[in-house]
Amino acid sequence: MDDDRTDSIRLIRDSAAGIAPRTGDLRRIRALRFQTPGFDRGVWAQMCEMGWPGLLVAEENGGAGQGMGAYCALAEELGAALAPEPLIGASMCASVLRGTDLSRLLDGSALVLPAWQERANRFDVGAETTITNGRVTGTKLFIPGAGGADLFLVAGRDGLALVAADATGVSVRLEKTQDGGEFGTLVLDGAPCTPVAGDLTEALDQAALAISAYLLGAMDRAFALTLDYLRTRQQFGKPIGSFQALQHRAADLKIQVALTRASVENAAAIWDDGGAGRVAAVSRAKARASDAAMLVCRQAIQLFGGIGYTDEADPGLFLRKAMVLMNMYGSAALHRARFARLTPDEDDI
Amino acid sequence: MVDLDALSDDDFRRTVREWIEAEYPEDLRNPPKRLHWSENQVWYYKLAAKGWLCPGWPKQYGGMGISAGKQIIMVEEFERHGVARTNDHGIIMVGPLLIAHGTEAQKAEFLPKVLSGEHIWCQGYSEPGAGSDLASLRTEALSDGDDWIVNGSKIWTTLANDANWIFLLVRTDKSAKKQEGISFLLVPMDSPGITIRPIWTIDLHDEFCEVFFDNVRVPKKWTVGQVNQGWTMAKALLGHERIYLGSPKLSGYALGRLRDLAERMGVSDDPGFVDTYTKLRLEIADLKALHATYVDVVRRGETLGPDVSMLKVIQTELFQKITDVMLDVAGENAGLLDPMEGNRAFNPGGLFLQARPSTIYGGSNEIQRNILAKNVLGLPG
Repeated sequence: MDDDRTDSIRLIRDSAAGIAPRTGDLRRIRALRFQTPGFDRGVWAQMCEMGWPGLLVAEENGGAGQGMGAYCALAEELGAALAPEPLIGASMCASVLRGTDLSRLLDGSALVLPAWQERANRFDVGAETTITNGRVTGTKLFIPGAGGADLFLVAGRDGLALVAADATGVSVRLEKTQDGGEFGTLVLDGAPCTPVAGDLTEALDQAALAISAYLLGAMDRAFALTLDYLRTRQQFGKPIGSFQALQHRAADLKIQVALTRASVENAAAIWDDGGAGRVAAVSRAKARASDAAMLVCRQAIQLFGGIGYTDEADPGLFLRKAMVLMNMYGSAALHRARFARLTPDEDDI
Repeated sequence: MVDLDALSDDDFRRTVREWIEAEYPEDLRNPPKRLHWSENQVWYYKLAAKGWLCPGWPKQYGGMGISAGKQIIMVEEFERHGVARTNDHGIIMVGPLLIAHGTEAQKAEFLPKVLSGEHIWCQGYSEPGAGSDLASLRTEALSDGDDWIVNGSKIWTTLANDANWIFLLVRTDKSAKKQEGISFLLVPMDSPGITIRPIWTIDLHDEFCEVFFDNVRVPKKWTVGQVNQGWTMAKALLGHERIYLGSPKLSGYALGRLRDLAERMGVSDDPGFVDTYTKLRLEIADLKALHATYVDVVRRGETLGPDVSMLKVIQTELFQKITDVMLDVAGENAGLLDPMEGNRAFNPGGLFLQARPSTIYGGSNEIQRNILAKNVLGLPG
């Protein structure tokens, strides 16, 4: 890794610490749970001030012109803090918007969220939604943070369109999610819209990798909490971390965290180098991150014992976040299948 | 009235089944969470009126007095129909305890009130510092004339917020070896100095409570058995638990929900899913076969050995594995807080979280493996 790249990643981690610290208590996260929109607009405004939604946007378009290395470092920090602000969705939109639409997204005056998915367990923009004569009709699923969106960037059969959340013909149904946020279902019935050039294919892969990095941050912190507990919880007159069965389990979890970090950082580097295998690398990272995050968070509950099963203890917050993200932007199984399709198996032997 | 004990097993099973099907409230079948007294008392009173509340108690105390084999048939039929547990600590814990170790006065005072539903009991065993290492409990009872003065706290007290009595393990001799200074007390929950705090679980239910004791005065006449002999009595009661925690019923229920979900998500015929699902089916079939050998031991009236811990390990980890697969199958719906489409049959996230504590409670699976390694295999250390 060259020095410039290392520096920009360190800078982004430092700036993340100011808004979404990876240490400290999770009171902010708890206070936001189960209330629409599930995130803090003030914190979102700060994130916009830091230029985060435009991190990947080229400098000539008003962004920071950073690569996936920096973006994943940021997402990892947000994951460690369990930050619920909709950075990953907004960043997808920033990658295709231009002009006033983009500047209003970047300066925080209009939150735009992507609405691409029409079925569960899909990871493509093969949409049935129609956009004709400035009207859009269709149904979009699983939009996190939808209750706070000012506009939706809708993927249709023939391209993209921007729809105001309060336009006629737009309705948003919200369902609570385990992490305290909401999935929105967006129903569009001839709603007025403005077409947007471009498509979301590349943005989807970037989002899947960013979610993997977010899961990495979350599992890494859940693991750190668990290690602290193993060191301090006393039973049978000694810290439970002195029992070999639990030591081995902790070692196994560390291995999964290390593999996830290697996979995510490798995928980001391949992406930034424009390598041919970059899409497969995203699938490799998401498959690993989804499975490893669930394993680490499930084991965090087990190793905390009874207290781990309470809402007042923190491991549950990490597990429930992982439950929401494990299958978003493609499940582990979906990404394994995509990897197999993309990569002849003699390549890596 | 039919002499149930005289019936053949098949006739008995049919009698039980018909009555449950006719009488059990439909909306209480297979509830996703442990029910509170306000919800399940209707069934408790029906069982009491029928005389079927306490199958294991002798007839002279108001129980059914039926054989171990017929008790198992009742459990099987209840499970088959998805009958919810009532607030049953008085029935399965306090009753057998008093019948074995209580004074005549204690039996006369407490057993009829369990049968009538006047006393709802909860269990005060675990403490914040005494979970897996239960014998290190520190809630203390000091002698003061005819009373004990109790100070300390209990945790994971199931449905304490429904109960009006608690049975407690307390330390009565701090100088003895830790297992030998423990006594068993019966305490009314409205005693001055008791406070209850519900504990919210990760699936946002208040099934468990913490109970605090601040100079609570308890008459010594409500000590069960000999002072400092509480541990042996408590251990004998816990032994029964493992065969129930090892029942394949819960995994069978979860597998049924996995099948429903797979159909809903359109993956029932996916070869990868079929292999995973079949593996789980086989696991359940083998668990059933193993479980049946332990049920036979109970049916013969023999005592279960420490190897019954295997059942608890297998069942709880299988239950969790099935719910893990449910999340995989559910796609993005895995993250929903409430059942999909308002249909309780499609509740992957809820069932997944509900499965989490099963490897922790009733003696964590780590403790069960210690028992297997040391007491069954005789490994050193």
